[in-house]
Amino acid sequence: MNWTAQDMDTYLQQKEYIDTLIVPLLKVDTVTEGMKNSASSSEFLMHLTTFIETQFKGRMMLMPPFAYTQSMDLTEMAATLSRDLAVAPFKHVFFLTTDVAWTSLKVDGEVIWLPSIPLESMDPQLRKTIIEDQLRQVLPRFTKKWSGQ
Amino acid sequence: MSKKVSRRQFMSYTLMGVGGFMASGMLMPMVRFAIDPVLQKKDEGDFIPTPQKFDELTEMPVRVDFTIKDRKDAWYKSDVSNTAWVYREGDTVIALSPVCKHLGCTVNWGGDESHPDQFFCPCHAGRYMKNGDNVKGTPPLGPLDEFDVKVEGGFVYLGKTKPNTLV
Repeated sequence: MNWTAQDMDTYLQQKEYIDTLIVPLLKVDTVTEGMKNSASSSEFLMHLTTFIETQFKGRMMLMPPFAYTQSMDLTEMAATLSRDLAVAPFKHVFFLTTDVAWTSLKVDGEVIWLPSIPLESMDPQLRKTIIEDQLRQVLPRFTKKWSGQ
Repeated sequence: MSKKVSRRQFMSYTLMGVGGFMASGMLMPMVRFAIDPVLQKKDEGDFIPTPQKFDELTEMPVRVDFTIKDRKDAWYKSDVSNTAWVYREGDTVIALSPVCKHLGCTVNWGGDESHPDQFFCPCHAGRYMKNGDNVKGTPPLGPLDEFDVKVEGGFVYLGKTKPNTLV
């Protein structure tokens, strides 16, 4: 499900089936040298999360990405986010990010860190294959969590 | 009988002519609107070519990816990639939509190890038979949708989805 009014209606009726929340965490670098990389990894993250959403539409809710700039306090953001997401009625929370800083932070839920792959220079076919490969990498994390309840 | 046209006759002919012309000017569009549905072109152009060759199809469903070029969503144009599960039964090609009828996840052929000859939805373990029929006792409430299929020049073309006709 996407974070849209229409999907939200479906969610509210089918709450017991849609028990997983996907939260993309997006680093926006405002230093000129870092902008290209930041744009590329945000493209990658958005492509990947959209793809995951279409595959698991009936089980996952994809949140809008949470963006932050390079000098924001992530420890505080992690704490606030954990507190607020705990209110939401989801059994499993996954954070997806390409920013390695999150792996060492304490958050409620599972942080999935992925190395960013520059998709912009690829043709659509290759891009699709890469995204599918990435999903295959992440998939065990989801299924493990789902079956471990 | 004189062949001469009297002034009165001339007037009435002219009036009838002009009046008729004006009346037809009004009636023509009305008739055109009334029969418009008949004149509408059929959506034949909606079949989308896929890279799947007809000869290479077997009775085992394979995944076929295809792209709908330039789909217009208001002013936003985009290429939409789509997938179908395609197999052959005799000479007919059957293409099923991978969208689970439960909550819209993507199903896979043989995705569940204990049921290798069924479609499997990883979200809530929904299962479908090869013809798309939902296995009773699993969450889905209806059979998988079917694509309109045609074969042209050895390649498989896919059209719109329609409710399953095989079950």
